[in-house]
Formats: sequence, structure tokens, C-alpha cells
Amino acid sequence: MSLLDFARGPALQWAAVIFVIGMLWRTVGLLLMLRSRPLSKDRKSGLAGAGVKTMFSRFLLPKVFAKRVGFQFLLGWVWHVGFVLTLFFFQVHVLFFKGVFGFSWPALPNAVVLPVAAVTLGILLILLVRRMTNPMLRYISNFNDYSSVIVTLLPFVTGFATFTHIPALAYETLLALHFLSVALLLVWFPFSKLFHVITVLPSRYILGVKFWRRGVEA
Amino acid sequence: MTRKELTLGERMQARGVSRRAFLRYCATTASLLALPPAMAPRIAAALEAQRRPSVIWLSFQECTGCTESLTRSASPSIESMIFETISLDYHHTLQAAAGHQAEEAREIAMKENWGNYLVLVDGSIPTGNMGYSTTAGESNIETLKRVAEGAAAVISIGTCSSFGGIPYANPNPTGAVSVSDVVKDKPIVNIPGCPPIPAVMTSVLAHYLAFGSLPELDHLNRPMVFYGQNIHDRCYRRPFYERGQFAESFDDEGAKKGWCLYKLGCKGPTTYNACAVLKWNEGTSFPIESGHGCLGCSEPNFWDAGSFYSPLSTSTRLNAGTVALAGAVGVGVGAAAGVAARARQKKIKSAPAKAWTPTKAEAKAEEESQ
Amino acid sequence: MTEVITKQEREEAFAMFYGMAASIGELAEPAPEMTDEERVERAKEVFLKGIDNNVAVQLDACVHCGACAQACQFFLGTEDPKYTPIHKLDLLKKVYKRELSPMSWLNKFLTPDITADDLRDQVELVYDSCTMCGRCNMVCPSAINIGDMVALNRSAMAAAGLAPAELRYMRDGQEADGTIFGADEDLFNFRIQDIEQKLGFEIPIDKKGADVLLMTSGLDIHLFADATGGAIETLHHMGVDFTLASKTPGYEGANFGSLSGYDATKKKLTKDSTAAIEELGVKTVIVPECGHSYPALRFGAAEAVGRDVKFEVMTVSEYFGRAVMDGRLKLEKKDHPTPIALHDPCKVGRWGGVFDEPRAILKACGYDLHETESNKQYNFCCGGGAGNFLLPSADKLKRVGYRIKMGEIEATGAEELVVSCGSCRMNFEVGKVKAGDSMPVESLAAIIAAHLPQKDKAEGDRA
Repeated sequence: MSLLDFARGPALQWAAVIFVIGMLWRTVGLLLMLRSRPLSKDRKSGLAGAGVKTMFSRFLLPKVFAKRVGFQFLLGWVWHVGFVLTLFFFQVHVLFFKGVFGFSWPALPNAVVLPVAAVTLGILLILLVRRMTNPMLRYISNFNDYSSVIVTLLPFVTGFATFTHIPALAYETLLALHFLSVALLLVWFPFSKLFHVITVLPSRYILGVKFWRRGVEA
Repeated sequence: MTRKELTLGERMQARGVSRRAFLRYCATTASLLALPPAMAPRIAAALEAQRRPSVIWLSFQECTGCTESLTRSASPSIESMIFETISLDYHHTLQAAAGHQAEEAREIAMKENWGNYLVLVDGSIPTGNMGYSTTAGESNIETLKRVAEGAAAVISIGTCSSFGGIPYANPNPTGAVSVSDVVKDKPIVNIPGCPPIPAVMTSVLAHYLAFGSLPELDHLNRPMVFYGQNIHDRCYRRPFYERGQFAESFDDEGAKKGWCLYKLGCKGPTTYNACAVLKWNEGTSFPIESGHGCLGCSEPNFWDAGSFYSPLSTSTRLNAGTVALAGAVGVGVGAAAGVAARARQKKIKSAPAKAWTPTKAEAKAEEESQ
Repeated sequence: MTEVITKQEREEAFAMFYGMAASIGELAEPAPEMTDEERVERAKEVFLKGIDNNVAVQLDACVHCGACAQACQFFLGTEDPKYTPIHKLDLLKKVYKRELSPMSWLNKFLTPDITADDLRDQVELVYDSCTMCGRCNMVCPSAINIGDMVALNRSAMAAAGLAPAELRYMRDGQEADGTIFGADEDLFNFRIQDIEQKLGFEIPIDKKGADVLLMTSGLDIHLFADATGGAIETLHHMGVDFTLASKTPGYEGANFGSLSGYDATKKKLTKDSTAAIEELGVKTVIVPECGHSYPALRFGAAEAVGRDVKFEVMTVSEYFGRAVMDGRLKLEKKDHPTPIALHDPCKVGRWGGVFDEPRAILKACGYDLHETESNKQYNFCCGGGAGNFLLPSADKLKRVGYRIKMGEIEATGAEELVVSCGSCRMNFEVGKVKAGDSMPVESLAAIIAAHLPQKDKAEGDRA
């Protein structure tokens, strides 16, 4: 079995299995945990609506924090969007999903996706360097933080190498490495902070409700 | 069997092949083999002077496609003439002899040329029940072992003998293996392809005849000059790939415009062969040019590397069923974890609160009460 | 307004009080003896009790982006990475990951357990360098409730016998006497009689069935009689059927069980107050200008007694602000030539939702309010909330916090600051002295009283 056969076949299959198991394990486990409910009267009504509002309002940065957090907030925004666009709307990736799920959706032209992916990769590198050099970030960072950034940017690096077919390695080796880097991302995802994909909106909802019952828009 | 010791030059003249045509063939061979032009006269001289070496062609689990490829051409070509330079002493399809006569011819050739003859093999070798494929009551694997023992080199013609090919494909009912799985102590050249390009076969033979050695090989024992680059890199449709213009089906606008066939499953990017350069039918066309993606037929395991029509970017083993099964397991484990956490939470909640320190007054009161 | 306490009296009292506050650490009982194992066990028990589904989801949503640091005045003022708010939750995260998270089966092998030394290092992080103001909650892209989880940390510290001596002293005192700073019933009665004399009318005490109960606090009894006096005068002016209570659970609004992290004390104090309030049968309770007393009673009463309570809880600014907004209280617009700034106390503002009411009052008084750049739910803490104004070990941090807050106030061009929280006021006063600033800091309740219309005009309103 060649490296590519391994990467396209068992590696990806097992990575996806681990990904799905891990994600559901953590999600279902969280859902089942006991929740305490406040007994005091709410100051405002419409808690669920306020929670949903916070889920979306936190996509924007309150003006008062713009000066200090604006840059990292913007970077965060751009790379997340870039990641989604590249993952789900690059022609070849659409084919991949069609292969897995049996249906597909329109892809974006390469002329759009490639620059987006390049910017995304660039930002991830900036964020990694920033995490290593900013004293505060370095202080709070742990293995989970570094590994998650690296594991996220590897598919971009290998993806670019594959698409541009860098001469250093054979195409099938590059493609295999790309598949393997994706497999690594899938395996790492549920066990790391990348899991925030599931928890970030519920977490916002929780604070939105908590504060709105006190009369504060969070 | 007659054994006239004529040189190739003499035989060519006898056949009416002009000296000019012969030299052109030598020049072409030199360029195909990526040798400097100065080597062309040397090839010519060597071929002209060469006595016909004995070649034994063994056919095992095969379809004769490789032989067809080698012999079937619109008009007698210079390539086909290469067989005039060798003494093809045994070949099921081409030899006139049959039965014991044929086997006898092989035995004689082996004895006379022991240690010097070439063995060409097409077809894979079954290792299961020997009854799957025998010749004159002898299993293929025995034949190969015995014949290869006295060979100067073994050349695997086609994907089956090179890598196992279609007989080797899952579930491999005959336990088929490649030549290199059986023969360990002889130089082996693999010329994979289903079938291989005729010029590639003849060029390797010409190299052997001219220099008495085998051409430079890659890690899969394939001649570097023909298998060093993938089809994708040499494909005339490559610009459409770069631009992201793909045919979505075999009859859409993109297909008509000759766009890239990646999405239709073309294996060009992972297939190392000279199809896009040498082409087929005397340089007329090759699969991609005629509108179909490359199947990757010259690569190991090409039959099991996913559908011919699913793009390279897709997984070969992953599907919604696997995902769903994993999902069920995940929900199960998660539910178990959640229930365990709940039980723990309830236990902690119901435990009497000891987690705060009594004040001095309370401590005293407690002391007094005891 | 009738002056219930002169400026000089206040300054003298303040100096005395400050001297007393500075020595309470030495007066505290020795910290409870405990082995390291016991400390860890108790802290973990508190952590685990506090981790519910909401906490778990929020802890799992953190990506260590570090934005919270940029909202925290203690980080901004020191640039010390250890003051990054989310770092203060590391122990809680560890316990969660190891013991309760859905993946605890795996994490047990990968996450080291917490140690008593971890807990000792944590003390500075959750007491000195955090006032649980919750400003970090507002910047967090995952909206993690860091403030409340620091409160949970304080509870764990207290359970592990590691609460700072000053807060232990305060908590022990309130556990024993029901009040703080020795503001016992005698002193309370003395102060009320004093105010009564100055205001010239009888203050109802322990009047069953009154509409409104006005609470106060040790801090106001000792120092900020203007706040209590202003509230009483305004209630009287409005003709509200109100009363004060003469027993500690009925008048003391502060809750040092809550600030120190002693959950049982917190619960006990709130429970006692709730019982006293329900016995009086009032409809509304006005908690004093004391930040944390508002959430402690407003949101804590039901939790303490395990059911919802019948009475409504409002803070001073909220009660009078609503009265102004719906026309029950008319204030006299006066000419104020210089702009004023407003400090939203964290516990009343960001944690209580009282924003519009104090602004309505200031508008009705004719003030030109200049908002600080960070205002309402984004407000900076005064720097010494959550009992920190009593911690000498946090002095440097308090100054840093004060500097940032005062910087924003000064930038507004305001020449006067109005506050509706006693401990914020304390911290501003101390900060001013240490920094050599001179911005006058006023109680909102006193300002209301100072803008009550002339009696004859008010008579008509009352009818």
C-alpha cells in the first residue's frame, strides 16, 4: 500500500471515525451534565432571545475594546472565514465532500479561493508568532494552544504544496501528506481547544441569558 | 528451429529497411532513452553488429494485451522490427510451435544460452492452487523460478508482471504476485502499463542490446526516462487545472472545451508514465486527449485505488455509513461520560458541606457540646 | 439637603476609619490549621460543586486568545502576564478536566492534579488582583463568565483556609455580630437618632407592614452618613411609607461571607436578612449604596432560602431613579457650571443592570454628565471592589486600577465624580490621597437629597 493509498484510505477513515466519536462524546457528555437554575426573579423577560442575541453580537467587538483588541479580533475573523471558504468551497474539496456525503454544492473559482487560503495561512503564521513572542500570550499558552495552531495550519501548507506541486516531492507524496495533515487535524480536533467550534455559541448564550436576567446586554 | 547467425544490419538489408530509416530509429531510441545524440551511431553500430540474443517470453495470468500492444500497429513499424534483432525462442502467442515442441524449443534455448538469455514476463504469478495457471503441467511459479535461474535479466512487461496488476486486485483469488516477489537474485526491469507503450518496451531492449546493460531505474525498477515524470506535469490540459476549469461530466461544455478531467477521476497527477509525451498509435493520441481521464494503469494497485471516476481528492474508504457508525459510538461513549459526570455531580451536591471553616466561636461551641 | 454630616466630620471619621481598616489583618484570628491534603480536598470539593453544565461549556469554549487581559485594569496597569483573567481559572480548569469533563477518563492521565502550593499561589490572583468586576466577560469572544468563576475560586480558597486575614476578620466579625466594622445595634441607633435630629423628623423603625425597608451598612453608619441621610430624607420627602430595621439582619446590607468566599456565611447572612425582611412584611427593600449588597440580596435571597421571595429588592440609585423616571419624584434642576462624571459600580451596573436610573437622576438635577470612555456594562472598576479596599497586600494593584479609572474620568473633563457605592467611594478617597488628586467624590443619594424641591412646592407633588 502506497503512502497515498494509506492516506486516502485507512488514515482518513480512522481519523474521521475518531473525529466523529470524539466530537459526539464530548458534546453529549456536556449536554448531560447537571445545570443549576437561578431561583431569583429575572429583572428582564425574553431571556432566550437575549441569549441568541449575544450569540451573534459577540461576533462584533464592542467599540470600547477596539483599540486594544481590534487587531487580533480582525485577524481572528478573517482567518476563520478564510478557513471555512477554503475548506468547503475549494473546487477539489467540494469533490471530496461529494465523495463522502454523496451530494455537493457550488465551489468558488480558484482565483478567489487561492488568495483567501494564502491570507488565512499568513494570519495563522502571524498568530503563531504572536503567541510565541507576546509575553502575555506566551505566559498563558500551553501545548494545546501551540499544537492546535500548528495542526490547523499544516493542511494549508501541504495543500499549497500539493496544488502548486513543489518540485521537492512527488505529487502523490504531497497529496498524501495533505490527506495525512487533514487526518491529524481531525484526530486532534475533539480533544483540543479546537472543540470550541461546538461550545462557543452555547457559551455566549449562557452569558447572554445570565446577564440579561440582570438587565444587562452582554 | 533455424539458427542463422546474421547480424541485425544484415537482416535489415535483407528485409529492405533502408540505412537511413535504421539510423533514424537509432537516433529516436537514443533520444527516448535521453542519451546524447552522439550515442545514436554507437547504438547503430552495436545493433548492427549484435548477434541475436535469445529471449524467452513467459506468459502467466495475462490477457495478451501487452503482446497486442507490441505487435499490433497499422503498418509494420521499425519498433516491430526490433524483434528481428532478437531470437524470440519461446512465446505462446507468436511462436509457430505448439505443445511439446514449444517446450522443447525453450529447453534448448535455455541450455544453449544459459546465463545470457533475457526473460520477458507478462502476467502475474498465482501462488494459490497451482491449477489456476499451468503450462505443460508445470505451475507458473515453478516455470518462472526455473527459467529465471539462467537468465541475464528479467523484464516484466505490463502491470501484472510488474506489480500484480488486475489478478492481484482485491480479493486476489489466485494469490497473484509480481515477478519481483518471486525472483530475487536477478536484475529486474519493470515496464508497467496496461498495456505498456510499445516504444518503451523496445527502447529498453535496444538499450540492453546496445550497451549490454539495463537503463537507469527508479525505486520501482522502472526505467527512469519513461517513468520519471507524471502524466499531469506533461499533460496539455494542465493550464485548465491551474485555472480551476474542470469538466464536470463527459458531455458537458467543459468536456467539449477540453478542460481538465481531474474532477472526472483522472489519475494523471499520480501516474508516472510517458503517455502524454510518446502517446499511442504512433503518436496519435492518449487517453486524456481522447477525453477520458487517466486510469493510472501503470501504477501499483491501480485497480484498488478507488473508483476510476472519483477524483484523487476524495477518500477511498470513507463514506456516510462509516461516519454514521462512528456517530453512534460517539453518542454512546458521550452518554456514558455524561451519566458518570451527572452521578458525580449529584454525589458532590448531596455530600454534607464541610468545605468551610468554623469560626472560633463555633469551634468553641462544638468543643463544649462534646 | 440637610447636612447630616459635615465635611470635616466626614474627613475625621475617614482618617480614623482608614487607620482601623489598615490594622484589621492583625486583629484576625490565626488562619485555620489544615494539612495540605485537606486544603486540596476542600478546594476541589468547592470547585466541583460549582461546576455545572454552564461552567463546563464555558471552560471548554476558551481558546486562550488573551483578549481578556486587554479588558483587565490590573493587567493593563502592570503588564504582568500572570494577571491575565483567564489564567486565574487555570486551577478550576484543571479540576474540571480531571474530574468532571466528559473526557475526564483521558484527561486524568494527562492533567496533573492541583497542589496546595498551587492554591497558595492562587490567592493573589483571585483576591488581590481581581475584583470580580467582570469587564473581561464583556470582551471575551466566547463570553466566558470569568468574574463569577473567580468568585468560585475565592470560595475554594476560603474553604482551603487561604482567604486573606483581612477578609477572614471581616467575615468572622459579621458571622458573630451580623454587622461589619463593629457597627452594632447601639451604634446604628445612635446614628439614626443623630440623623433624626438633623433632619428634624421621626425616622420610622421596625414598622411592620411598611411599603419600603431601607437598609444601610457598617460603612455608611461609620462614614457615609450622608448617603443614608440622603436616602431617608428623599423617602420622607416623597411620602413613602418606609421603615428602617433596628436589628442587624434588617439593616446591614454588606455581606462579607460573599466577598471573602465563605459560602456558608454568605448564605446564612442573606437568609437572616430575608427572614427579617419577610417578618417586617415590606414590599420593597432598598439596599444601601454598597455595591455587592445589591446582587447579594437581589439575586442571593432566593438562592439562600431555596425559593423565590415575595419582596422586591432595589438599590438606592435604582429606586430613586425609577421614581424620577415615572414622575413620582420631582427634583429641582439646578445650575451646575461644571460637568460631572458617573461611576457605575460593577456590582450594581454590569452585575445588576442599573444604568439608566442614575443617569435620569443626574439629568433631573441639571447636571452635564460626561460619560467615561468605558461606561455602563463596559465600565472600569474603581480598582478596589470586592473587599479589596481592605487588603494592604493589594495596595499597589489598587493604585494601578485607580489610575486607569481616574484617567478615564479626568479625560471626560468632569470636575466632580458621583458614585453610588460605598466601597468604590472608599477606594476613590484613598486613591485620591495617595495620588494627590482632588476630584470631589459625591454620593448619589446625597445629590438626590440636595436637589429636593422646596417644601411648599413638594407638598403639591406629594398629594
